[in-house]
Amino acid sequence: MKLLARYNRVNLIAAITVLFVTGIIYYLAISYILNYQVDKDILIEEQEIFSYVKQNNALPPVVEYKDQQIQFIKVNRPVNRTFINTDYYNAKGHEYESGRGLITSVIIKGQIWQISIVESKVETEDLIQIIFFITIGVILFLLLVLFMANRFILNRMWQPFYDILNKLKGFTLTDSKDIVRGNSSIDEFAELDNAVINMASRVKTDYKDLKAFTENASHELLTPIAVINSKLDSLIQTGEFNTEQSRLLNDVYDAVSRLTRLNQSLLLLVKIENHLVKDDQVVDLKHLLETKISQFKELFINKELDLKYDLVAKETKVSPYLIDILLNNLIGNAIRHSKFNGTVNVTLTSEKLTIKNTGENAPLPKDEIFKRFNKSANSEGSGLGLTISKQICESYKFDLLYDYEDSYHCFTVKF
Amino acid sequence: MKILIIEDEKGLRESIEGYFSGDGNICEVAFDYNSAIAKVSLYRYDCILLDITLPDGSGFNVLRYLKDHNNPDGVLIISAKNSLDDKIMGLDMGADDYLVKPFHLSELKARVMAIVRRKSFSGSNLLVFNEIVIDLLAKEVKINSTILKLTRKEYALLLYFIANKGKVVSKNAIAEHLWGDGVDLADNFDFIYSHIKNLRKKLEEIGSKDYIKAAYGMGYKFADQ
Repeated sequence: MKLLARYNRVNLIAAITVLFVTGIIYYLAISYILNYQVDKDILIEEQEIFSYVKQNNALPPVVEYKDQQIQFIKVNRPVNRTFINTDYYNAKGHEYESGRGLITSVIIKGQIWQISIVESKVETEDLIQIIFFITIGVILFLLLVLFMANRFILNRMWQPFYDILNKLKGFTLTDSKDIVRGNSSIDEFAELDNAVINMASRVKTDYKDLKAFTENASHELLTPIAVINSKLDSLIQTGEFNTEQSRLLNDVYDAVSRLTRLNQSLLLLVKIENHLVKDDQVVDLKHLLETKISQFKELFINKELDLKYDLVAKETKVSPYLIDILLNNLIGNAIRHSKFNGTVNVTLTSEKLTIKNTGENAPLPKDEIFKRFNKSANSEGSGLGLTISKQICESYKFDLLYDYEDSYHCFTVKF
Repeated sequence: MKILIIEDEKGLRESIEGYFSGDGNICEVAFDYNSAIAKVSLYRYDCILLDITLPDGSGFNVLRYLKDHNNPDGVLIISAKNSLDDKIMGLDMGADDYLVKPFHLSELKARVMAIVRRKSFSGSNLLVFNEIVIDLLAKEVKINSTILKLTRKEYALLLYFIANKGKVVSKNAIAEHLWGDGVDLADNFDFIYSHIKNLRKKLEEIGSKDYIKAAYGMGYKFADQ
């Protein structure tokens, strides 16, 4: 639930409850005061009747006053003197109205008379009604104003918060852009803005340092590797080797070769992440794929792989260097992980490039395969091939997806 | 062939010197900007191997010096920086080729030979090794005047071998030369064997001697012995 909605809800519920309770108290108070007023009128009337009876020792004549009716009834026992709420018959309007009455009694010449004085409350009720409607009107208006105020003022007041939130959402480590400072006049938000900006720049600096370290370390490694490589090349010129020595040398060669590729892959990753490869140009993918396929021809033949391809003309603006690496990785993987006599399918449409191959009869873990140094147990690769491929795709906003369907391992690049 | 190696890393410099020496080649070395300038201002070389990360000044300055003085020597940049910008800059400034560390000595030799061949004004585009005659422009191989039909990779392989004649060339070096170092093929060198077998068969069928010899299971040697 949004803060604004929650705040609005609490606010409105509180306002409505308070107004409702005050409304009831208000109503009761006004009713009480007005009743008291009517009761006083009735008491005056009673007083008049009593004083008439005292003087004349007879009942006064029944006179129809405005909104007041008096009745005398013979009764056998004296009645309790009580105020009652009753109906008042309005003879003019021929209708009953709510009224307030007093039942009392008087003894004249040994005869007990019950006196009932009833006064119409229609005017007081009208008054209460008017007060009620005005109050309701005020309450509704107040609620509306509260609601609007919350909606607009709060919305505007919280705007800096949403700005900061959006900036945080759009924050990426690899992006070179910094978070822009907001201009909120509210201290809390300005402080939050500062904290966010400081945090972001600190994280970026740390990340940059880490990357610089990777890059420097990889660079520093290149020279010693170059020396080892050249010494090995020189060593094998020196003369005859027996089988054991040859085997050892071969192992060293392979290890150095892997070390070289690993190092180059790490450097390449840094370069892609830093967007340092900027030689984008229109590349004819169909032509490039055909070249790749003929370049890899011997490898297909060597493993007796059945290569099927279906390519349509497709051009895209990428770095020829990076797209070459991407295709090398994907096709190379397909060949490496195919079993002898397997099948490799390459399909290029205007939306996507799909490279699929037969291999292990189980899907690869989708979430794991693009992570660094994740590789199958029997792979001799660097474990960075798919990470690099993913990075290349991401830098061009392509999607690189893996699927396992009909016993095919299927890698798709969606343009 | 006269070569100048400008490289500050002693181990690498010595290896290159050792690999290139002999077979009528003369190697000289320089290890920083000043010694390099001293050499190039005095002598002519067929090819200069130039490391661009020198201790007392960028190798680019050496290159600039060469170009400012209209020095016609071939220049091959060897760099630890696999940066496209550096490569483009080096080639724009007049370097003939750009090789990224680490490299195989056989690859370096093949590249140097290619530069030297391009630079030599003998007017001939023919590369001759005993009875094998290669027309580099037409990319045609003749043995005793009979044309030998080779695939593109077999042709590249033959040139590579001739450039490194008398040297043991490792399988890794061959794989990287033929498929590029972007291709991760460490787990599979069998196909090189079939390539070599095919090339050898074609050469023999047409009357060439068998120059390609397997060397201790780690590579091959192209030699006239």
